[in-house]
Formats: sequence, C-alpha cells, structure tokens
Amino acid sequence: MDDIVVRLTGLTRRFGSVRAVNGLDLAIARGTTLALLGPNGAGKTTAISMMLGLTQPDAGTVTLFGRTPTEAVRAGRVGAMLQDSGVVPTATVREVVELARALYPRPLATDRILAMAGLADRAGRRLDKLSGGEAQRARFAFALSGAPDLMVLDEPTAAMDVAARQAFWAAIHRYAAEGRTVVFTTHQLPEADEFADRVVVLAAGRVVADGPPAQIRALAGGRTVTFDAAGARLEGLELLPGVRSVQVRGDRVVLTTDDADATVLALAAGHGFRNLEVSAGLETAFLTLTAAGTEH
Amino acid sequence: MRAYLWFELRRLARDPRLALFSVLGPVVTYLIFSGLAGGGDQLEGVDAAAALMVGLAGYGAVAGVLSVGSLVSQERAVGWLSQLRVTPLPPWQAVAAKALVSTLSGVPSVIAVGITGRLQHHVELSAGRWIALLLLMWAGTVPFALLGLAIGYGLAPQLAQPVNFLAFLGLSVLGGLLVPVTYFPDALRHLGHALPTYRYAELGWRSVAGLAPTPSGLGVLAVWTVLFATLAAWAYRRSTAHR
Repeated sequence: MDDIVVRLTGLTRRFGSVRAVNGLDLAIARGTTLALLGPNGAGKTTAISMMLGLTQPDAGTVTLFGRTPTEAVRAGRVGAMLQDSGVVPTATVREVVELARALYPRPLATDRILAMAGLADRAGRRLDKLSGGEAQRARFAFALSGAPDLMVLDEPTAAMDVAARQAFWAAIHRYAAEGRTVVFTTHQLPEADEFADRVVVLAAGRVVADGPPAQIRALAGGRTVTFDAAGARLEGLELLPGVRSVQVRGDRVVLTTDDADATVLALAAGHGFRNLEVSAGLETAFLTLTAAGTEH
Repeated sequence: MRAYLWFELRRLARDPRLALFSVLGPVVTYLIFSGLAGGGDQLEGVDAAAALMVGLAGYGAVAGVLSVGSLVSQERAVGWLSQLRVTPLPPWQAVAAKALVSTLSGVPSVIAVGITGRLQHHVELSAGRWIALLLLMWAGTVPFALLGLAIGYGLAPQLAQPVNFLAFLGLSVLGGLLVPVTYFPDALRHLGHALPTYRYAELGWRSVAGLAPTPSGLGVLAVWTVLFATLAAWAYRRSTAHR
C-alpha cells in the first residue's frame, strides 16, 4: 500500500457525449517511470488533469500518496509539466526557478536544478529569449525545483527536435535515478519504449495494454487476434503457437501473437471462434479500439 | 505567497507598458491640461491645478490597475496559471497576490503626477496630506483591480485587451478624470456621479480640501466593489472549472 504512489479507480470523465476517460484503473508503484501511450484524443491529458486535481472526475477516485490530489499538491509532493503550458515571458530562468523553490517546502539547490535541467549557462536569460527545447527544459526546471516525489509530464517533448529530446530525457533520467516516480504521456511508441519501464496504452479513454516496454513493442510489431468471448473455450489459449498474451476485454478475447496464421489455424482446429478479427500492430489496435470506444 | 508577490512585482516593474501608460501618459496629459486651466480656477471644490492633478493621477492609476487584468488573461491562455495550481501555492493566495499587485500598479501614476503637480504648479499640501492622498488613491483602486481580474479570468486575451481598453476609456472619460464632470451636460454629469471613477477621484479631491469622504461617495464605491468582486469570483470559478 505504502509503495503505491498513484492510484486511479474507475476514473471517468465525459465531455458532452464523449467519454474522454472511461473507467480507468491504474496503480503506479514508487520508483516507476511510466509512459501513458496513446493516440491524440485517447484521454491522456484528461487523465493527467484529473490525476493532478485540475479536473474533477465524473466518477471514480484519484489518490496520490494515499491522499487527494489537492492535498498531495499542497504538500509539495508533486511536480508537473502540463501540455502547452507556457511560462511567463518577462521572467528569467533563475527567477522562475527561485519562485518554484520558494513555493515548495524542501527544494533542491538552485545550481543543482539548473544543472539537472541543462540550463546552467542560461540562468539569466529571459524565457522568451530561449529556444523551444530550452523553454521546455525551463518548465522542467520549474517542475523539479521542489524535489517532488512524483513528477508528471504531459507530452513533454512534443515541441522538441531530436537533440533537444535526448538532452531532455537525460535530465529526466538523472531525476528518476534518485528513486522518484515519473509519469509521462506520449503518442510515440519509440519514446515510451526507450524511456519508460512500464507502458500503459490508452485508447478511447481505456487501458488497452499494460506492461513492460518489451511486451508493448511485441504487441506493436505483432498481430492481435480478437474473437467473441461468448461460447469460446478460454483455457489453453496461451499455449497456442505464437501467442504471447491472452486478455479478455469486455465481451472479446484478445490474443497477441507473433504468428497470426499459426494461431488462427490452431484456434480453428481446437477451440473454435466467432467474429474473428486479425489486426496488425499498435497503430491498428489504437484505431480499432478508438472507433469501438466512440460508438458507445 | 510572499515569493510569488515579489516575483510578480519584479515582472511588473520591468513591464515598459506600465511606465508608458500609467506614468508618462498621465504626466504629459496633466502638463497639457493644467496649462489650459487658468490660475485660481476652482474645480471639484479645490484649486484647478490640484483637481486636475488628482484626476490624472487617478486616470493613470486606473490604466495601470486594469492593464494587469489583460496580463492575467494571457497568463491563463499560456497555461501559467494552471502551472501554478500544481504547486503548493493555494489558489486563493495566487489570486490575492494578483489583486494586490494590480492595485500597486496604480501607485506609480499617483506619485509621478503628484510630483509633477508639486513642481510645476506648486500644489502645496502638508506631508501628512500627501501621504493620506497617496493611501486613498491606492485603496480606491480596489474596485478597478477586481474589474481587471474579472476581465482577465473571464475573457480570452484577444477579447480581454479591447474590453479592458473600452472599460478604461469609458470609465475614465465619463467619470471626469480627464475633463471634470462640471463641464458635462446634466444627464451625463449624473451618470458620471454614479461611476466608480468619479467617486474614486472624489476621495482625492476631498482629501486635498481637507475633508472626509462623503457617505454617498463611499456607498457608490462599495456597490461597484461588490459588483466587480462578484463578477471576478464568477469568472475565476468558471476559468478553473473549464479544463
């Protein structure tokens, strides 16, 4: 219990008739670097927003460190970089960092913050005079100043080129290496694959896959075979040729497989199926599940 | 909260618009207008040079105070205010600091126009009366600070700026900060007397004359303050519930 930093239970948020987040359950252990991966519109930002207490859920609960998000934020345990969240242009990097340090109860030393964010030589510069990547790192510096136990980053590298991205992730790694919990969102599989130690794939506001990067990569590279759960014989499915994982989602059985042909042949021979579908990769899975999700 | 207050004040001091619109603007306007008024004329119960000094100090102060509202709108649009909400700074303190900074941005105008009045037209007041005038002209900006926050939290930047400017222009001209309401036709003068800008400047005029504020003047200011506070609170709640 003590080791669960973030706990989302049945989290739901509607915008009009669209369920942006739909019954999200998630527990994140201390020290994890977790990627929330999904296409645009998957509900990542809404989920993050509820996680931080900026948006109220229609249903479900969020606890951070066993408390409400607002309490955890007030206690200085959370740092966040929100999507498209600019910093005030007339302030310098140092001023913004000093402000953040003053707001948190146990801040890091200024020099350490600047070094971690790779901004040591930019301290006196105004934020509107920084490059896109530098500005993003300035926002990261603001978020990490208070040495929060939980760092939440919403699409942190969206505006960065390759070099800036590398520098940024190096900074995140230095931070996470101290046993802190990092949650970030991205719509790029390689980014989740490379930098997270747990990847949660979100589509249409629901978790469609959850595991270590290798497993998600396999899902992305391989095929998914889905069929109706009703009338299907479920035991032994994981032993079929090629099958990597078996999941039951709603009324559908989802197999991920490295060899869809062999899996389907074996299924036909031994198990039988109805409404079978084979789809390729994560992108297809995204689309299928997104389309299915919006029909509700 | 103190750190955030200092942060905001430093930014404000660095903003060239404040120096331009709420210091240079009113000082130059004061020099022009006060040169036109004949010596010994009486306006609003005091010497014309002093009356215009108070009016233009108030004009610059209202300009400065309202402009902070536009800035709030921009900070909201770029997500800075959301960013602050994920720090330990309680939201009410962020708003309170903003309101305080907003009223303080009216002070440079009062000082600058006051000094100009003293130097150019030998407006003679005792030290105590200068201080009382400054404090009244500062405290009197509260309703305008609330109006600025209502605009800043309620409207998108591209709308906040023109609305702000129209509110400023309408209130300051009709409230007799530039041209005294004495010169207005009857109907317009009655309107002027009902505006917070007139009653704000009235605090200063009566203070210069050594008189206490009128109950009716304070009453009008109180009504506008409550109205703008309600508007600001509504706009703030709406802006945070939206995301």
